[in-house]
Amino acid sequence: MTQSGFTVDVDQNQYLPEGGRDVSAIVTVSSSADAAGAPAATGAPASAEIIIIDCSGSMEYPHTKIAEARAATAAAVDVVRDGVWFSVIAGTNTAWPVFPPDGSMAIADASTRAAARQAVAGLRANGGTAIGQWLSLARQIFGAYPAQLRHAILLTDGKNQHETPDQLLAALRACEGVFSCDCRGVGTDWEVGELRTISTALLGTVDIVPDPSGLAADFAAMMRSAMGKQVADVALRVWTPQHATVRFVKQVAPAVDDLTARRTPSGPQAGDYPTGAWGPGESRDYHVGVEVNPAGVGQEMLAARISLVAGPPSAAEVLGQGLVRAIWTDDEALSTKINPLVAHYTGQAELADAIQEGLEARKQGNEEVATAKLGRAVALAHQSGNEDTAKLLAKVVDVVDVDTGTVRLKKKVEDVDEMALDTRSTKTVRVKKAQS
Amino acid sequence: MTAGGALAAGACPSCGAPVDAGDGFCESCGTELFPPVVSTGTPGYVPECPVCSADPARAPAPSGGITADGYCESCGRKVPTGRDHAELDLGPLAGVTDRGLRHERNEDAMALASAQTPSGPVAIAVVCDGVSSSPRPDDASLAAARAAVQVLLAAARRDDDPAEASLAAVRSAHEALRRLGTPSQAPSATYVSAVIGAGAVTVCWVGDSRAYWLAESGATRLTTDDSVAEELVAQGSLTEAAAMASPQAHVITGWLGADLARPQPHLRRFEPPGPGLVLVCSDGLWNYRPEAADLAELALPAALTDPLGAAGTLLKFALDAGGMDNITVVLAPFPLVRPETLPRRTAK
Repeated sequence: MTQSGFTVDVDQNQYLPEGGRDVSAIVTVSSSADAAGAPAATGAPASAEIIIIDCSGSMEYPHTKIAEARAATAAAVDVVRDGVWFSVIAGTNTAWPVFPPDGSMAIADASTRAAARQAVAGLRANGGTAIGQWLSLARQIFGAYPAQLRHAILLTDGKNQHETPDQLLAALRACEGVFSCDCRGVGTDWEVGELRTISTALLGTVDIVPDPSGLAADFAAMMRSAMGKQVADVALRVWTPQHATVRFVKQVAPAVDDLTARRTPSGPQAGDYPTGAWGPGESRDYHVGVEVNPAGVGQEMLAARISLVAGPPSAAEVLGQGLVRAIWTDDEALSTKINPLVAHYTGQAELADAIQEGLEARKQGNEEVATAKLGRAVALAHQSGNEDTAKLLAKVVDVVDVDTGTVRLKKKVEDVDEMALDTRSTKTVRVKKAQS
Repeated sequence: MTAGGALAAGACPSCGAPVDAGDGFCESCGTELFPPVVSTGTPGYVPECPVCSADPARAPAPSGGITADGYCESCGRKVPTGRDHAELDLGPLAGVTDRGLRHERNEDAMALASAQTPSGPVAIAVVCDGVSSSPRPDDASLAAARAAVQVLLAAARRDDDPAEASLAAVRSAHEALRRLGTPSQAPSATYVSAVIGAGAVTVCWVGDSRAYWLAESGATRLTTDDSVAEELVAQGSLTEAAAMASPQAHVITGWLGADLARPQPHLRRFEPPGPGLVLVCSDGLWNYRPEAADLAELALPAALTDPLGAAGTLLKFALDAGGMDNITVVLAPFPLVRPETLPRRTAK
């Protein structure tokens, strides 16, 4: 580990055939397990948390849903560390502060946590769903507090029915870079694509909680993870040579998340891709693809320099660095060797795509495409040892031959199984690195 | 043409005191006047990207410079180190070494020296080619060449027997490589030295780096390779052309390195029948023109008056032919008539 507590490792086949242009690398970013402890407790709180609870009318059906949501919110509030700013928001077709009721943030201690629990206990479900409004209120509240780490938990049980998709997108754009947000859908009446859009834009996770009774444990776990974050606004800064193009930058572990469109220029030949906040002992993998102008055989080129940076672009601190290289060779044994990590994550990304496209085709009634795509997904999940995804797939299709990916669509599929497969389609597994 | 050579007198490069032709050291400050030179190159990377500076159509982007690890901040190319291409000119002899076109670095090394001795001027050349399948071959070739040239130069100044000196030098080179590695991790190199005196050329070698005698009146190879190909030819099982085309052509059977208890060098004394040229080179050159007569045609007559220029010509020939390997070419016109130039190394 470097002094920053972060390491950046690059795994690639740097050899290209004569005239080759495409360079591909897996960049593993890891934070040290024994990083400097909690953020400095001096001065203003370093962290701010907002819990956003869906209080639309459907949360009463079944009535255990709103009760479990209240309990889950209380459980999350209990995990908020002393000295952290926090508040709770309720959302319907509008949004309002539940605690503190004046739209400020409270500093967590035993008495504010108790007051928050009491305020949450009075929540009733009644009204519609306009998630853009909820996010906008969170953004306003966060905006008044100079915390480095701003994180929200958003719970919904329904579709975004009471505003247009454009209104939601506009609200979302305004929140990007202001706070991160983990999203949870309870039950089966919400839209996977909608929540995934929000969690992706706000660098958070998305998951389904099929049974309301599971909410409290999940909320507490999310809040615990948020409390562990120590370094805010970390970005991958990708430098490329003149005349080169970044084809893509994707997070590929623990889940697939395409960051390509999230680039903000950060200097000559360089752009930053956000990775959000980091806690100790985290490790994530990124797949970076660069197209370069080929040089002659025997020549070497720096195809990309990947720097992990934190802080404002003008005064960013470099936490770690890795080099993606290109060497042109006429030795085919070298240039045709496929890097096992690149191959693995290419397969994992294809797996996520195959699942999402297969489920979409199934919804549209195109059984032929659905069977082919989901069959491909079964084969990929099996080959890569992604057992969790394989289990989820087996609830949607009957597997005839796992190796060839021969499957039959199940006649009857529970909504919850289909949504769980869709939501978790981007989860990936890692491979042990080959001994080098 | 003066028999004893004409080495110029001049001033000590360190203290400026006058020194006589033939002095090995400054009588005033003790500085070594004609130290051996080794192809270490300037440490670090070249300061400007050769690709970007040669491109007139280059976008007028701010020059990014060269990163600490040797990449151009603009085009991303790995820029050469000083060692990728080095030229050494001592006057009586000169050489060039180059990365070639297909290798990532230059694993060849050369070391040159000259001395004025009681029996006349002496020129010394050592060429080593790091064995690519061994660890740190670039360090190996440099260490071997550096160790050997010091032994050869000290012996020449004492007017010692060049054959004995050559064997001592190869032992010293071998010891340097033993210090560099272990039997299981042995940086290794080929080795060829030439000591060119008033009437004879003494050649000592291990591996497949070569020495040639090049003359209008008859050119000949002075060394025989320690290689599978050469052994097949010697046994009469293959013609030279067939052997060179075989996949084993470059499998060497002799080298220096810590995996060998003692080196097994070959030694040859050659008396030139008349004026000509001694060529010492690595296989990066002779792969493309193994025959002595063909090499003579490339080098003569220009090399007799401009050895550095001719070495450059031979290098360009090898690059144009493909540059598959590192290329090292050292040329010394015989008899040794070209004056040493002084100072040839500025004081630090």
